[in-house]
Amino acid sequence: MAETMTTGGLRLGQRVPDFELTTYEPTKGDFGKFSLKDQVANKRWTILFFYPADFTFV
Amino acid sequence: MGADIVTVSTDTQFTHLAWQRSEKELANVKYTMGADPTGTISRMFGVYNEDNGLDLRGTFLISPEGKLMGMEMNFYNLGRNIDELMRKFKANIYMMKKGGNEVCPSKWKDEGDKTLVNPGAKMVGKVHEALQGS
Repeated sequence: MAETMTTGGLRLGQRVPDFELTTYEPTKGDFGKFSLKDQVANKRWTILFFYPADFTFV
Repeated sequence: MGADIVTVSTDTQFTHLAWQRSEKELANVKYTMGADPTGTISRMFGVYNEDNGLDLRGTFLISPEGKLMGMEMNFYNLGRNIDELMRKFKANIYMMKKGGNEVCPSKWKDEGDKTLVNPGAKMVGKVHEALQGS
């Protein structure tokens, strides 16, 4: 099946390059780190939810 | 339900903390809040708006193998429907469990709903009949 839909060079059905994000963890009240590599190692699904900005009306 | 939700904006982790603590609507939020102040990750996913440095409303579903399984992107003024996101998520898990022999049509909502089994040459032009049958 041809998957031609792209976004920022990423393609559906293809591996997402590993990436990391510094995070704030509300449940711990502390900062942390998210890494796609860890998600794959732990066999976890990831839902990334981008939004414009804090303190707005999301 | 087996997925980690990470919300991401171009704010820093410090702003995330301040916002979550001050906004009562967010008092019970459990999701990890990712900081992408340089826009690097946002650009990678194609949601970074170069004009104002803010992210568009993009949602991406990544499988345990690290594969991109779904994406949705809206401009600023349209909120996302969490039910549709959950439908896509559940459908992906269901199809993976079935090993690729079943596909979930547009009206599929949850396990037990009608699927198409072993779609192939026999089903071409006969999807209506396949959906009607039990």
